[in-house]
Amino acid sequence: MNGASGNGASDGVGASRRESVLQRRLSLADMLDLPSFVEVVRSFSELYRVGIKVLDTAGDKLADVKVGHGDFCSYVFGFPEGRSRCTATVARVKDGPVAPVQGAWPARGDGAEAAGIIALPCFTGLRYLVMPVCWEGDKLGRVILGPFTPEELADFPPSLTDISGVDLSRAHELVARVRRVPERTAAQVLVHFGQVLAALVASGQRAFLTTQLHIEAMLETHRDLEANNARLAQANIRLKELDRLKSTFLGTVSHELRTPLASIIGYSEMLAEGLAGALNPEQLLYVRTIVEKGESLLNLISSILDLSQIEAGRLRLVMGPVDLGSVIQTAVSSVAPQAQRKGVELEVRMPPLPQPRLAADADKLRQVVVNLLANAVKFTSSGGRVSVVMSEATAQNELAAPGYRVSVEDTGMGIREDQFENIFQSFYQVDGSSTREHGGAGLGLAIVKSLVEGHGGRVSVESEFGRGSRFTVVLPLQPPLSEHGGFSALAPTPSSSGHDRF
Amino acid sequence: MQLNHAQRELTLKIVYYGPGLSGKTTNLRHLHAKASPEVRGRLLTVETHDDRTLFFDLLPVFFSTSSGFKVKVKLFTVPGQVIHNATRRIVLQGADAVVFIADSRRGATADNNAYWRNLQENMKENNLDPSQVPVVIQFNKKDLPDARTDAEIEEARQRGGEAVVGAVALRGEGVLETFHAVAQAAYRRLDMRAHLARNLGLTEAEFLGQIFRRMDLTGTALASMYERASGEARNGDGR
Repeated sequence: MNGASGNGASDGVGASRRESVLQRRLSLADMLDLPSFVEVVRSFSELYRVGIKVLDTAGDKLADVKVGHGDFCSYVFGFPEGRSRCTATVARVKDGPVAPVQGAWPARGDGAEAAGIIALPCFTGLRYLVMPVCWEGDKLGRVILGPFTPEELADFPPSLTDISGVDLSRAHELVARVRRVPERTAAQVLVHFGQVLAALVASGQRAFLTTQLHIEAMLETHRDLEANNARLAQANIRLKELDRLKSTFLGTVSHELRTPLASIIGYSEMLAEGLAGALNPEQLLYVRTIVEKGESLLNLISSILDLSQIEAGRLRLVMGPVDLGSVIQTAVSSVAPQAQRKGVELEVRMPPLPQPRLAADADKLRQVVVNLLANAVKFTSSGGRVSVVMSEATAQNELAAPGYRVSVEDTGMGIREDQFENIFQSFYQVDGSSTREHGGAGLGLAIVKSLVEGHGGRVSVESEFGRGSRFTVVLPLQPPLSEHGGFSALAPTPSSSGHDRF
Repeated sequence: MQLNHAQRELTLKIVYYGPGLSGKTTNLRHLHAKASPEVRGRLLTVETHDDRTLFFDLLPVFFSTSSGFKVKVKLFTVPGQVIHNATRRIVLQGADAVVFIADSRRGATADNNAYWRNLQENMKENNLDPSQVPVVIQFNKKDLPDARTDAEIEEARQRGGEAVVGAVALRGEGVLETFHAVAQAAYRRLDMRAHLARNLGLTEAEFLGQIFRRMDLTGTALASMYERASGEARNGDGR
């Protein structure tokens, strides 16, 4: 609630928000385009040769056109008595009540009464007509027509003639320039003007309210968006914190899991080797199964630990001269038993080079090739083939530097193109269903990507769905130094996020 | 409500709310046509070519009380399209009472519910307490196939405290009754808060009488309650 009784704390407008234009009372000036309105008033005045003034409720002039009476009024105004009487008349016309009181009477003429027009005499015998400007029950101002010479005026009244010094013949000469018109006609002109004014106010109000509301709506929408942005930014900060906690947790838990698991595997191996006495064939088979499953579990946990360290930015690369050929050979031999069991052919194609050397972390590089090979074998069915192809050390477009290119190709199930981006993300599985055929934690390729990029290299995938895939790793001969001087595997970044430029 | 003791003016705001194309503008057009010219202003409406309200409609209704207070009731509609929520919120600012125009068709139930929730949210946003600001529900388009039956509307009425009016706004049915219900509810609330009868000498009977005696109530149950003000020809230009 607004206004004098205002106790509207519970029911007013939100303090943070600006009061809408719809809650405001509009003034006449709000609803009129003043320059074009002044033009309308001028053309009206010139057409009827009578002056028109339009005032708002505060008494400010919105339009003021003088026609004909200027010289006469100035002449009369030049005498002290004339001046005081003129001032009193003008005050009554401009500020007095628009009602048939204080010397005014209801103007004669069609529609004059409905429009509330009053007639006011000037001490010179001239006359004014004053019409209130009403809009939706509110008075917004007044329109003053005149002064004009009423048709019945034969001679000047005593209130002019008794002013000492007035030359009546000069006054007659000047008053002849003032329009002589019956009050009735003047009232009709004013009624007509009122209709034009109402039409202008109606369209002006509409234009004013709609533009103002348009602006308010935009500001309101902007406010909403800002609030949403702030909420999203908060959520983002929270998510990043959770992500960091997750990496730390995974690292800690993986470490805690590895220690007892190493004991389980160690004691099982001792059992299998007969250190605690001979085992019968069945017992031996069981114990070997324990060792085998324990090792695959240990691999999985190591992957998780690697990734959590990569994500925490803590996996350091130890660079040294590496023979890429022997790295590949070692990797191939470590997946060979797997491939053999599955009936997948393993093939290595290398250029006949003595010791293809580059600077890298040999262990991590082997892990890259092993991961790619293990994946290829996993997704290739019996009778298929997995090949490792190594290029010579040549200029590599991806790196704008010389380097090696290692491709791992398979004849397996392939990958749909729309999955190419996703498969390098941690925990991502192309087949995410619980009934999927192939195991794994979905960490292998994420680790590959981080390690390769940590070497300043690139990894990419090509595939024809159903026909096979090719993963290509490009490695520079010499990895570029990172900002802080050391080498570390790069934490995976969300694919769509850009880096700050400045 | 805006109460200006110095100027002796009281301004009330009633907002017609509801889903797009539920008949809010139609309600105002009918009220405009039925109100006598000396109590109504022009119907201000900004709409797009497909007959959808772009910003709002505004119909002012005004009179002077016997104690010389000028009373103005501003009727607004809000745009119903989903994208105009900011405008709806602005128009709702400072409302003294709300008419919720619901589409009676059963298929429109989800839309009605969505806009009802939107009304509650926007009232809260404007610091309007939904338990304090009276709301009248109009079930419009009762004549269409798939519309709720009277029994179903009665059932809906009993689910909440709001007054409920059935309507076919295109034919003018229920429009004046809805306006009467909301004007009465608005008066009663403001009388509780600002003691209009005691402080302004404006009773409920005078408030409603000043408006409804100057409306063409022919064919409605309200006709017998309000004798038309004497000496008045049939109002309006039929728009």
